[in-house]
Amino acid sequence: MSMLKAEDVVVRLGGNLVVDGATFDLKAGELAVLIGPNGAGKTTLVRALAGLIPAEGRIAIENRSLASFAPRERARRIAYLPQGHAFHWPMTVAAVVALGRHPHGDVFSGLTEADRAAVGRALLATGTAPFAARSVTTLSGGERARVALARALASEAPILIADEPTVSLDPRHQLVVMELLARIAHDGAAVLAIVHDLALAARFADRVLLMDRGRLDAQGPAREVLTPERIAAVFGVEAEIIDSGVGPIPILHRPVESPPRPAQ
Amino acid sequence: MQAKNLHLIVGLIAIIVALAILSLMVGPAALSPRAALAGLFDGEGVAGIIVRSIRLPRTLLALLIGATFGLAGAALQGLLRNPLAEPALFGAPQAASVGASFVIAYGLAGATSFAVPLAGIAGALLSIGGLVAISGRRASLTVTLLAGLALASFAGAATALILNLAPTPYAALEIAFWLLGSLEDRSIDHLIIATPFFLASWLLLALNARAFRALTLGEDAAASLGVDIDRTRIAVVIGVALGVGAAVAVAGSIGFVGLVAPHLVRRRVGSDPARVCLPAALMGAALLLAADVAVRLIPVNPNATTIELKLGVVTALIGVPFFLAMIFRERQLLAGAPS
Repeated sequence: MSMLKAEDVVVRLGGNLVVDGATFDLKAGELAVLIGPNGAGKTTLVRALAGLIPAEGRIAIENRSLASFAPRERARRIAYLPQGHAFHWPMTVAAVVALGRHPHGDVFSGLTEADRAAVGRALLATGTAPFAARSVTTLSGGERARVALARALASEAPILIADEPTVSLDPRHQLVVMELLARIAHDGAAVLAIVHDLALAARFADRVLLMDRGRLDAQGPAREVLTPERIAAVFGVEAEIIDSGVGPIPILHRPVESPPRPAQ
Repeated sequence: MQAKNLHLIVGLIAIIVALAILSLMVGPAALSPRAALAGLFDGEGVAGIIVRSIRLPRTLLALLIGATFGLAGAALQGLLRNPLAEPALFGAPQAASVGASFVIAYGLAGATSFAVPLAGIAGALLSIGGLVAISGRRASLTVTLLAGLALASFAGAATALILNLAPTPYAALEIAFWLLGSLEDRSIDHLIIATPFFLASWLLLALNARAFRALTLGEDAAASLGVDIDRTRIAVVIGVALGVGAAVAVAGSIGFVGLVAPHLVRRRVGSDPARVCLPAALMGAALLLAADVAVRLIPVNPNATTIELKLGVVTALIGVPFFLAMIFRERQLLAGAPS
């Protein structure tokens, strides 16, 4: 079933064309990984998909226009994990993760049993339960990243959009998080994650979306999208693809001599 | 957590009740607790007149104004995700001061008549209109803050100008004392004028308390959780201006309560920016009530031009030691918090 559909999505920020006609269709049960060099427009695209900034073109959730959703209704369909993992007050991990239940309550309601259960599942899934009672401001960067993910998971929305969920994680926790995203997808959610590590993208993505200078250049299975030619053209890196036991893994050798385009 | 929160609220209410009774007892004619309560409930005799028509309005105003400042401070700190935010940030109290000073300067009314609060409230309402007109309805927080800063500075300059051009030295002195804040000689009518604004302010801010909690994750994450950021921002700016503008219009400038009250209770509620609102309001009420009792107890030179110490002076004098104690206690914790 089509969960999140984009047709010719165009986003302008301050007069600049940042996203130039993105089209794709994300299905339930699918983990899509959005890759692309810095400044390609990945974050802008996912913010538009999450309904946080206005966009031209058509974005639909479950075949219904995104614009027709009230904010809280939309929030129950799409969980969004922004970059940076900001926590402004020294609240406990459990209290922060419970914020994921915000779209399910109303002005005066506290947490219901269902809310508590969802928070508990999110804490367990991300391995953050052991420090649930600690203040978020005392955590390491990696712990904070997992708490932020737990917050997004706690809403148990059918669509999860995560902007760099593996950033600042050690190798083990990068794998833990990617496995978790894959499991959520295979349990029926539609997951779209921005990831910079091409090896992680190749290994876990059901579909890779390659973005460059505002355009979705290619999409499909990693084996088809991540070719040495494309990696050289888009990222400016000489690469080879090795068929390993866990699938095709790009090995990055060195920056290509002449960059693919003048620096902006 | 919930039980701790309840203990805090019950404790604060007990303190407020005790301070309120004290406030009914204290003044030029001291009353015993029994006489004060008898005067309050049967209203008979001299004690009845003193308690019902002089000390009760004053006590209630201190409660309502203190609560409004505490809640407004908690709401702004929640909206801006910054523990330094305080109710004067968007210029509403300064604008209220301009309106009130103008009325006093030109002899349109004495410092305790109704024209003063009405002019003050008009000033605060104008400042809201000005803020929205300057920054636009979908302004970013930074633009709103800058617009507020500009308005606050402009209003401060306008008050200084009125002082500067005051027709007589007496008018200038009256404004200067009014600006220091006082609840002396405020009547039940002041209470009636200001209370609707306080209630509207509390309602607007309370309805947005949950949004403050979501905003701890930043604006993007809060918006993705279904918070309408633009609407929240404008509701809080208006809510704070209504409450604080009316408070300043009735009582003059009273600083510090709005900044300090949320800090004194924040740790007890796990730094939750929604749950801090009610205790911060109660703490604000207790602080202002304590200050207003103190101004009546602290002896002042009878030959001085003013009979009581001014409330704004005492709130800062009482508030700063609390605040310093808290800073020393929390220094370690604050050092680890993100800026």
